[in-house]
Amino acid sequence: MSTEPSLPHPELLAAIPRLRRYARVLTGETTRADDLVQETLARAWEKRRLWAAGTDLRAWLFTIMHNVFVNQRALARRDAQNVSIDGDEDGNAAWQIPVRAMQQTRVELMEILREVGRLPVDQRVVLVLAAVEEMRYEEIAAVLSIPVGTVMSRLSRAREKLRRVAQATPTEPSTLKIVK
Amino acid sequence: MNPLPLTDADLNAYVDGALAPARAAEVEQVLAKDAAITARVAEMRQQNSALREALDPWLADPIPPALLDAARMPQASARWRRFAPYFAAAATLLLGVASGWYLRDVTLERGGTPTTFARQAALTHALYAGDINRPVEIWAAEEKRLVTWLSRRLGLAVHAPDLNGAGFALVGGRLVAGNERPTALFMYENADKQRLSLQVPKQPPRTSEVAFRYAIEDGVGVYYWIDDACAYALSGQLDRAQMLTIGRAVYAQLAAAETGTPLK
Repeated sequence: MSTEPSLPHPELLAAIPRLRRYARVLTGETTRADDLVQETLARAWEKRRLWAAGTDLRAWLFTIMHNVFVNQRALARRDAQNVSIDGDEDGNAAWQIPVRAMQQTRVELMEILREVGRLPVDQRVVLVLAAVEEMRYEEIAAVLSIPVGTVMSRLSRAREKLRRVAQATPTEPSTLKIVK
Repeated sequence: MNPLPLTDADLNAYVDGALAPARAAEVEQVLAKDAAITARVAEMRQQNSALREALDPWLADPIPPALLDAARMPQASARWRRFAPYFAAAATLLLGVASGWYLRDVTLERGGTPTTFARQAALTHALYAGDINRPVEIWAAEEKRLVTWLSRRLGLAVHAPDLNGAGFALVGGRLVAGNERPTALFMYENADKQRLSLQVPKQPPRTSEVAFRYAIEDGVGVYYWIDDACAYALSGQLDRAQMLTIGRAVYAQLAAAETGTPLK
């Protein structure tokens, strides 16, 4: 038992909130997100020999999660040829995380979440990894298995889109309050 | 040498701190002169911080037990695990009570429910003791408020034993969800920053285990005792002898204080 390679349990636990958040960004939905996290953790344990101790566990987990997600999407697409799966064929559907569940009370924050949810998943993911997870472009490229140049172009398209939306809809007056 | 013209990618990389220092300096020169580009950069920064502000609250959501469980080292091969609930159900019938007990654990575990009191205590300990900045919700400075609050939530008169004799000072405490039972958690720390936690669930787990037990779950030692009225779990990454000594001290103090009696 002691010779078996292992993953640091406290670090795994500590990574769960970030994995869940990224999974929600990927799937746009809370239940599927948690399923994805669970599958990712299971896969991480299966592949634990591949993790080099001392390297960034979070980045490694994100990479696994991305692969699991891509595989699931490919399977869903294959099934979709026989059975129709509602929407989401390209994973580009707007996310269904209810605004209420976002626990946001500030209008401009709800607004930005809604707009990020409308971005194509490829752009949404790059934006969140760069702006929220504050990963370096090289790390993002590794997590998503894409060239750094693609990371940069997706990022600039995502920001451009958010900017156009922000300009089209002037900020609401701050007297607007959300009543619980 | 004239700087290369600024691209949108340059601005993005500048905002994300991903530009080489030389190129970043060139961007700054342009920013000093060009108000439109300065505004664009400010807008991107604003977007970044709004996004963080919007998404950071998600990190505080309570973690479902199924995920806590998935973070543990699996005990068997993946194929077995996937079908464990079915095998376990069949095997329990076949093999009878003795071996069935272990398999029952596996079955419940796949259902997302941490099974034993000791395991639950160890998981909870690892989660909060590993949190450097916020291991507790109410700090020891407000011990009285902490104890009143936890006692009210549990409907039990709990108190935080004094472990200074063993070199552990109270850090504080919080309410946690142990196997669907509200549970009080007191956290202690010694001079070497080792942490111990004492967990007291609202009702003792239904179990045939009585008296004192010691278990190691995921490298966390758990010294626990359960009787009809109450249950306690002391968890920490100390050696067994130390855990037992501290456990006895806790028990003696609690017995003296008659903790665990229902509130009048």
